[in-house]
Amino acid sequence: MSAEYTLNELMIIEAARQIRDGETVFVGTGTPMVAAMYAQKTHARNMCFVVETGPISPEVLPVPTSVSDPKAMHRAVKLGTLREVLGCLLQRGMVDVGFLGGAQIDHYGNLNSTVIGDYRHPKVRFPGSGGANDIASHAKRLLVIAPHEKRRFPERCSYVTSPGYLDGPEGRKKAGLKSPYPDLTVVTDLAVMSIDKSEGKLKVYKLMPGVSLEKVKDNTEFKVEAASSVVSVEIPTAEELRILREEVDPEREYLGKES
Amino acid sequence: MGIKMNKIMTAAEAVDRFVFNGATVGMGGQSIGRSAMCIYHEIIRQKKKDLTLVGCNLSIPMDMMVGTGQVRRTECGTGNLERFGTTHCWRKAIEQGKLENEDYSHLAMVTRFLGGEMGLPFMAIQSLLGSDILAQKSASTGKKYEIIDNPWNPAEKVVLLPSLNPDLSIVHAQKADEMGNLIIDGFLAHEPEMIRASKAVIASCEEIIPSDEIRRSSERTTIPYMYVSAVIHQPWGAHPTSVYRYYAHDAEQMREYQRCAREGGAAFEAYLEEYIFSCATFDDYLEKVGGLKKYNRLRQEMMTML
Repeated sequence: MSAEYTLNELMIIEAARQIRDGETVFVGTGTPMVAAMYAQKTHARNMCFVVETGPISPEVLPVPTSVSDPKAMHRAVKLGTLREVLGCLLQRGMVDVGFLGGAQIDHYGNLNSTVIGDYRHPKVRFPGSGGANDIASHAKRLLVIAPHEKRRFPERCSYVTSPGYLDGPEGRKKAGLKSPYPDLTVVTDLAVMSIDKSEGKLKVYKLMPGVSLEKVKDNTEFKVEAASSVVSVEIPTAEELRILREEVDPEREYLGKES
Repeated sequence: MGIKMNKIMTAAEAVDRFVFNGATVGMGGQSIGRSAMCIYHEIIRQKKKDLTLVGCNLSIPMDMMVGTGQVRRTECGTGNLERFGTTHCWRKAIEQGKLENEDYSHLAMVTRFLGGEMGLPFMAIQSLLGSDILAQKSASTGKKYEIIDNPWNPAEKVVLLPSLNPDLSIVHAQKADEMGNLIIDGFLAHEPEMIRASKAVIASCEEIIPSDEIRRSSERTTIPYMYVSAVIHQPWGAHPTSVYRYYAHDAEQMREYQRCAREGGAAFEAYLEEYIFSCATFDDYLEKVGGLKKYNRLRQEMMTML
């Protein structure tokens, strides 16, 4: 049964589809939180949500404004410390998925949320790493969600806050990262890109309905290529949209008022 | 029977006695949660200067003190108010080359406090490898890190970070007794490590409880008294940030602050004058920012989220 949807909504649903039931997922605020909440209410009821302020396995209420929002702590099994979640779960190797929002994402899946320009006198200062570097360093699998705007996808981030594959297929291994070859997927409102591990570079694996490869290339600064086979992102069902709109983000803070 | 000591004092006295110019100050709380605003307002009124502010997610009070020119340097994982935007004074000061910030990840800051709380000179971590957090640093930062081979498995790399022992840390707790024992509810973020690493700690609290209550439920104590130098009894002392189990954050006040900070100049000065300089105490501020209706609403909002 078809229903009207925005690409922003489908981006959130498609990102949520990357989470498998029962997985432990470290979630940053913003759109990752919304997508993870949607997954928790649909196909991943047994997922373990982890938030960097310390909540372990909360049943997150719509929608936290911050990682320190009590909505992100609701019915947790434990409210721990930062060390307990970023150290004892994440660095310890017990987190299946690290779910990040992107500032800039480059061809190798590196993220920049720190500066544009000279570090000591930058043109633009972003908030900084927070837990992002830790998540990118240690999660078994990386999931990034971001709107597909050209300036967000440079060939190489001028500052690498959170490591993707750094500079090639062996980039992480050379740097000494403990998980040298994680799956890394970027879901945008135009496409799904994943790291091709033979090159350490992001390639297009899926296109949003009605979006051409040309459009993706036009909106990406780095020279993105298609994977050997490209499929379409499955359109959402009416029930999927209802859950997203009525149960996950009823105030439409992330979905936008036009949905 | 029992130790007799009384560390309860006003914010004015605590700041006067324990916050000195040039201090490295650890900031508790995270983003819109549980910042000891009553203490920071006093630091601003007393015009303490040349401060180095450290913590994980530095937020409104850091941004205010950067805006007033009281901060020389910050070391943190992020300056951020998430859905409310970035920390504008901080961002602008860095972009203008007026403020030095040294970047770390959150686990890295906790790791430095962990070394500090354990009485050790450094502590190990395996984040940061390959990133510019190691490759780039501020002009006045000394040796930021060392990478070693794991002595038991030389193929494995380990990053060492120097310990961080702040001159003092500032935290808002739900409960404290006159000895300085603290009960902190809800998320703890980096506070236990930071507090135990600090040379002095000023704690404001929603409620003062008898020491007897602490001793009868000792497993509930978050921080024992020997780390704490001063206790300030200030209900609503974290406003506009939230306090778990007590009140939600005041979104209206946060947006107002953000509007003034983003605009800067006269708008920012007017905010400081209205809410800090023209108030003799934090109670005067609380009377300005809301009446009973607002406070009841914020309390109710918290209850519905538990």
